Amino acid sequence: MRKRSVFAMIAASTLTLAACSGNNAPPPSSSPSASASSEATATPSSDTGGGEKPEMTMLMQYGLFDPNADPVSKAIEEATGYKTKYEMLPAENADEKLNLMVANKQNFDIMKLGSAQFYKLATAGALEPLDELIEQHGPNIKAALKEDSWKSATIDGKIYAIPETGSGISVGEELVVRQDWMDELGLQHPTNPDELYEVLKAIKEAKGIVPLTGTKDSIYGDIATAFGVINEWTDIDGTLVHKAELPQMKDFLTYMNKLYSEGLLDSEMPINTSAKAIEKFASGNAAMYKLAWWSASSAEAALVKNFPEAKIGIIPYLKNKDGQASVGVNLATTWFIAVPKVSKLKEDAIKLIDAKLEKETFKKLAIGEEGVHHEFKEEKYYPILPKFNDDLTNASVYMTGVDEHNYPTYWQARVRKDPVLQSYYEAFQANAANTNIVVDPMSVAPPIDAVSKNKQKLTKLLDDQVLMYIAGSENIADYDTFLARWMSEGGADAIKEANEWYKSTK
Amino acid sequence: MKQTVSEKLFNVFNCTFFVLLGLTTLLPFINLIAKSFSSESAVISGKVNLLPIGFQTGTYLYVLQNDMFLNALKTSVILAIVGTAVGLFVTTLTAYPLSRIQLRGRKWILLLFIFTMLFSGGLIPTYLLMQALGLINELPVLFLPAAINVFNMLIIKNYFEELPDGLEESAKLDGASNVRILFSIVLPLSLPVLATIALFFAVAFWNDYFTAMIYITDQELKPLQLFLKELLVASSGEFLKDNVDAALNTTPQSIQAASILLATLPILFVYPFLQKYFVKGVLVGSVKG
Repeated sequence: MRKRSVFAMIAASTLTLAACSGNNAPPPSSSPSASASSEATATPSSDTGGGEKPEMTMLMQYGLFDPNADPVSKAIEEATGYKTKYEMLPAENADEKLNLMVANKQNFDIMKLGSAQFYKLATAGALEPLDELIEQHGPNIKAALKEDSWKSATIDGKIYAIPETGSGISVGEELVVRQDWMDELGLQHPTNPDELYEVLKAIKEAKGIVPLTGTKDSIYGDIATAFGVINEWTDIDGTLVHKAELPQMKDFLTYMNKLYSEGLLDSEMPINTSAKAIEKFASGNAAMYKLAWWSASSAEAALVKNFPEAKIGIIPYLKNKDGQASVGVNLATTWFIAVPKVSKLKEDAIKLIDAKLEKETFKKLAIGEEGVHHEFKEEKYYPILPKFNDDLTNASVYMTGVDEHNYPTYWQARVRKDPVLQSYYEAFQANAANTNIVVDPMSVAPPIDAVSKNKQKLTKLLDDQVLMYIAGSENIADYDTFLARWMSEGGADAIKEANEWYKSTK
Repeated sequence: MKQTVSEKLFNVFNCTFFVLLGLTTLLPFINLIAKSFSSESAVISGKVNLLPIGFQTGTYLYVLQNDMFLNALKTSVILAIVGTAVGLFVTTLTAYPLSRIQLRGRKWILLLFIFTMLFSGGLIPTYLLMQALGLINELPVLFLPAAINVFNMLIIKNYFEELPDGLEESAKLDGASNVRILFSIVLPLSLPVLATIALFFAVAFWNDYFTAMIYITDQELKPLQLFLKELLVASSGEFLKDNVDAALNTTPQSIQAASILLATLPILFVYPFLQKYFVKGVLVGSVKG
């Protein structure tokens, strides 16, 4: 104890020493107000009038830009009259940093949180219940959000955040193949796992490569869906079943293991990054992988540069035994806009969020002005480049809730920044529309303690094990032993509580 | 001395082995340089090894015009210079009295210092302390807590102890004060160790991203290494998963390579100038005669 206090004294004395030598650090609380007064003159006429609007502090998720210098922050200030100081969570260890800041009561008025972060803070009592505030100051908020969306942010009957659902239903990934090789070998697009196996085998024989590559994040999707492992949760006769419990899981793993052991599936899949998967595909070392439309243009450019005659073919979603193709969709709320208890400006926080969700303001903040940032033709919004990129690239990071009735349409302007991107996006969506779209029933659930608490652990446990089954280092015959372990480590509780909620909605 | 055949063989093998080993440390650099000058398509398809493919310099123009990069560079340069100056100053001032036998109880004081070298208060208490001191999101938080580095202090202290006692005695006889002795006699004689420690400090401040990651959320104050780290993390699959909007705006790999290179070069240029002191300084302090 004494040693510590001596150390503290020494530290304190060196600090004062250094402070005297010209590094006078003002306490953080004084710096925002200083910058506010210096720029207060720039505040435009506010429509509500009366009284100076206070400066707000908002915590946002990481983005690779300076949030206080971005054009969007100025646009928000002009539209709402609120000057806001933005701080970002770090790109890595964001949760730890957030806990640290909240535990130390660092002041924020608005926080944009991921679902796990939101749930943790809400149950820890760090967030303000918003029902009354929204009732009084949030007419635009209420108009912008659909009734169902509030569920995800409601805990024990109280609303703790404004849920931000994002861009609506869309699928991100689909299997693509080297179409030029398919044509050369006279192969047809596979329609089910068995045909896929034959195609992969034929390509391997002809080209001498490991045809299918992927990343550890792309275990599920196309192939798994064809086996019936569609979403994390499935409704079977009114009961929620986790994918780990599905009997089809074993069929899927057996199939993947067969691909793996016969050299049809890239053995490096568990360690591939998405960049590595693209690299293998673009350099001709793989013939097929699951492409995300947002990386389509760079992938296609790289491939065509290496092989000018190369073409990419999109394989329609595979069908199951009964000839039915499905696509799993997750409707989970991406971001939660919360007001922490420590904020002294809670009313203003809601007023600011409300002002940003006013119909025309929201449109302007999302896709700018017509004729300047975007144009409207054939019922679609198209960006005007480069102005759109200059001013709005980071717009979504600033959002605090979206106009759920219109944002999915607005948002697509982002996809149309690039014709290649757009063509893949639209092809994927069109293919998905031809299938049976299955919504994960749990994705619209409110936070459930046993589910949220264990989600990360259980997901990792399952994913790691699944990779071992695929790679053959564990025997699939022992799956039930693993399942029992998965259940005992929280899986059973999660399933039980998930079902209690599910039955209550019926 | 004459070498036997086997000794010669061994030497040849030894030299080749270590030259090759040395080259392997150079390879990542060359690869990075090649990537930074290559076209993005070539980089994505993994064709770039040691020579650029599809030569271009646009990546460098882009990075050097990027406000965030320049801002981070400015922070890092200020941090390295101010941090090193402050660090060297207080560390020397601590080391000098501790090197004098006249100081009573110096064994115990030294023990306290060494104690802090082995044990720290832990991350959260330290964070609380920084917050109470009003240092969160302020530049000094990046160098003040690290200003006294016990390890560096011990090296300087050992060096001071090596200096002949006679120098100090004769200065005393001439009427010099303790401060005068330190600045006019001891420090000029200790340049090798000071240069070494200065380099230690500068490199440590330059390479440190963790402190900034913990205490800095203000974009304007983020040093270069944190900027780099975030640039790379923000382009990784883990971060982009479920974040379509971020995935649409990823940084091309060739630009990442150029950023890494530009962030590493400045500190590399410091080495040749301090190299001659470098090895000497550390050794002189440690070898007891």
